[in-house]
Amino acid sequence: MHTSKKVLEVKELHKIFGNGQSETKALNGITCDVLEGEFLGIMGASGSGKTTLLNIIATMLKPTSGKIILDGQNISSFKGSQLAAYRGNQIGYLFQQFELIDNLTVKENILLPLAIHGNNLNTQQQALQQLTTQLDIDELLHKFPSHLSGGQKQRVAAARALISNPRIVLADEPTGALDTKNAKILMEKLTEHNQQHASTILMVTHDANAASYCSRILFIQDGVIFHELRKNKPEESNSTFYERIVMVMAQLAGGSSNVL
Amino acid sequence: MFFNLVKRNSHQLRKENGVYFASLIVAIVAFYAILSLGEQDVMRYLKTIESHAVERLLLLIPVLYMVSLVFVFFLVYFANRYQLQQRSHELGLYLLMGMKQQKLSLMLISETMWNSIIALVIGLPISWFLTELINLATARLVGLGIIGHVLRISWSGMALTIIGFFVVQLLAMLLLSAKLSSKEPLELLHEDKAKAQQLTTPKHGIISILSGFSLLLGMTALCIAYGMSILYLRELHYLTFALILFVGISGTFLLFHGLGNIIGVYVKRKSTSSTGLAMFTARQLQENVLYQWSSLAISSLLMLVAIICFTFGTSIALNNTPAENRTVDYTFSGTQQEMEALVTSDAIAPYVDHYYEMALHNFYIPEEKTTTLSYQFSWDGLIQAVEQQPASEIKENLVNNLSMAGTPYFISLASYNAMLETAGKKPLQLASNEVALYTSDARTFPYNLLKQALKKQPTLEIAEQHYTLSETLYSVPIVADRAIQLSYALIVPTDLFDRYFSADENNFWNMTLKEAFIEEKGLMQAMFEVDQQLDSLGVDYESYLTNMGRQLFYTVAGSYTTFYLGVLFLIVANTVLGLNFLMQQQRTRQRYETLAMLGSDVEQICASARQQIWLYFMLAISVAFISSIVGIWSLVTLMPTTVVNLQSGITMSLVMLLVIGIEISYIRIIQRKSNTEIRKLNEIE
Repeated sequence: MHTSKKVLEVKELHKIFGNGQSETKALNGITCDVLEGEFLGIMGASGSGKTTLLNIIATMLKPTSGKIILDGQNISSFKGSQLAAYRGNQIGYLFQQFELIDNLTVKENILLPLAIHGNNLNTQQQALQQLTTQLDIDELLHKFPSHLSGGQKQRVAAARALISNPRIVLADEPTGALDTKNAKILMEKLTEHNQQHASTILMVTHDANAASYCSRILFIQDGVIFHELRKNKPEESNSTFYERIVMVMAQLAGGSSNVL
Repeated sequence: MFFNLVKRNSHQLRKENGVYFASLIVAIVAFYAILSLGEQDVMRYLKTIESHAVERLLLLIPVLYMVSLVFVFFLVYFANRYQLQQRSHELGLYLLMGMKQQKLSLMLISETMWNSIIALVIGLPISWFLTELINLATARLVGLGIIGHVLRISWSGMALTIIGFFVVQLLAMLLLSAKLSSKEPLELLHEDKAKAQQLTTPKHGIISILSGFSLLLGMTALCIAYGMSILYLRELHYLTFALILFVGISGTFLLFHGLGNIIGVYVKRKSTSSTGLAMFTARQLQENVLYQWSSLAISSLLMLVAIICFTFGTSIALNNTPAENRTVDYTFSGTQQEMEALVTSDAIAPYVDHYYEMALHNFYIPEEKTTTLSYQFSWDGLIQAVEQQPASEIKENLVNNLSMAGTPYFISLASYNAMLETAGKKPLQLASNEVALYTSDARTFPYNLLKQALKKQPTLEIAEQHYTLSETLYSVPIVADRAIQLSYALIVPTDLFDRYFSADENNFWNMTLKEAFIEEKGLMQAMFEVDQQLDSLGVDYESYLTNMGRQLFYTVAGSYTTFYLGVLFLIVANTVLGLNFLMQQQRTRQRYETLAMLGSDVEQICASARQQIWLYFMLAISVAFISSIVGIWSLVTLMPTTVVNLQSGITMSLVMLLVIGIEISYIRIIQRKSNTEIRKLNEIE
């Protein structure tokens, strides 16, 4: 199991917001690895630093100190065009609010990362076909986002995140704006893709249900890694893993061990 | 505390929306310029000689002022709506914090008022300086001289500018505040999200067929309007004019209504082959056109009107150069003794260069006179020559006119040559038994046709004797006042003239002023001085100045007001377009963030936005330009007096270049603003 290659290495990551009296430590020296083909979940209470971690990996924030290494390259030092080449190409994103561009059709939205990076779109028709069939959105290609349901929108966003075969997909609360049924469909599709194509996914969530699809979960509290859970593959079912997650969450929220 | 907040906010607004603030200042300048027209040296001077026409123009100014107020109201309303939209989150917060609705409105209104005060403080001195500059320039140009110039401030103009400006701003803000007060704080906090969801592109299908149809219909309507204005506008029938306007305006609206569709078709075709942000750019443009087609159409029409105003103004300024054709400065009527007494009088003598008799008389038998001379006259020879010309409506009219003309005025050749000599021109030679055709009305005269007829050397019959007509048609002014019109007169040999009319019957006397004096004082100032001397003597006279004043008045009034309207229309059109674009960009800024996340370079995004702005403006500009070509064409055929020669052609191209220059700089400003907005999105902490 430990033979897998490291896709992403997070080393001694610190992030401090503000300065002087208003100084807040969001991340306090986090170190972790993401392995190839892994579906890693990051959980934690509000303000624990999980979104800050994801934003730094996503290059939307700069760390105060520490390194993010993707395939051996320190991406936290990237600037300008280096950053642009990295985003959307090496990393796919999935947001809570989908962030589809609503005056582009579904097809145009999905192909946008490829177009931005100057790829020839004609050669990608097959990949598009395959991906949209898998995500069950192949009927919607010529529609505009406003005519889609939330679940459909998020699956379109997933297709957009996956189309360029990124090294890692970063998902920020992808089920946050979905009802249970659609959340379930999305998580199943993501897991399916993860297993069939060995794609690497890093998901931030506080929804234990969604997290139960992950193969490993890191719990963050006060800017440091507090606990780690591994799914006992393949024998452990989602529901038993779910129960273990809920127990850790109860402890995190000040459960039995913290009771005075 | 409250005032500090207002001051800080308004400072922020000025910084963030420099385009709008600059437009406000231009509007102030335009207001003051038109309102202070009555105070201009030229106008003040013209009031003394053409008071009636000047009064009428000054009555027209309030109308112009009201029209511009309406346009500026839209400008202010639009710009403030943009600003409020940008600040909706902040405003929602104020409400959430417990600020009362009235207090919020009061704050917004105070901010606008504070900005107005600052705009006025900057704008009024600029406008005063500019009007003084125009004042001096026109005064110099027309020879009024700058000696008598005093710096003058039009207090009423200034007051009206301030009042109009405040009223418009207040009205716009009251309306916007009323709209704002109907919203809940939460709505304001999430304004952008709600708006963004409304902005969806319609499905293809029935809508696209409809808009394709409207595109086709719009193009057809425009072509019909173009054809009609080229073919029928010269008939000058108000119904034709109204019809052309109606068809043209609705055509423009329909065209822009359907334009979004054609962009959609283009995007669909290209959607699998375009790379980079080309598709995004096209879709953004399509969305802009689909949702803003009416403001695009209005802006395009305003640009069209502005271009036509500029061209019209230039052609007026070019075609009425008043210093041209000055041959006679003063004309008096009286006997030789009276004239001699006048020109040798102490008051007038120092100014006089030349004076001579202008022998001019109608060729008819005076009732009180018993005479053996024959007064027989016939145009027949000329009429025949005209009839030989190719058939045309003009020919029919000319033949009719000549048959009805009756006896013409005779001008003595000696007088005519005296006039030519004092004006420094070559004297006219007539062969024996030759007479020359003269008209003071060359502009409306069927000049070319008559010239052709004269080449046939037609003859006339005067007192049973045949006279050949000279080949040239003469039209140099023979008296000072152009109001005296001679449609068909004859320059006849002096002995023929003297045989019929004795010296005491001819009672016109021309006088010219000393050149040195005119050069020293400037034409208008010099004549004004002599006018005053003549007035003090109680002499009746016709002065070249009256005539020149009339022309000058039309030149100044015409070009001034048309340029004013042109500038105003152009500002409004551009500001509407620019703000419209920035508003859409503001509403859809999330998209730009998404693009950055998907790996677009900030510069790539900025370039896409710049291209969107460029295309968006070009849509409106190109339609306006195509229409303006037809518009100018019709204008030229409508007014035969606007002679399109090479010089005016060059000047008009310069005006066009100026409009293009203004447009390009406007586009640049909006692009720069858009770039700043986009770069703001992508600042990584």
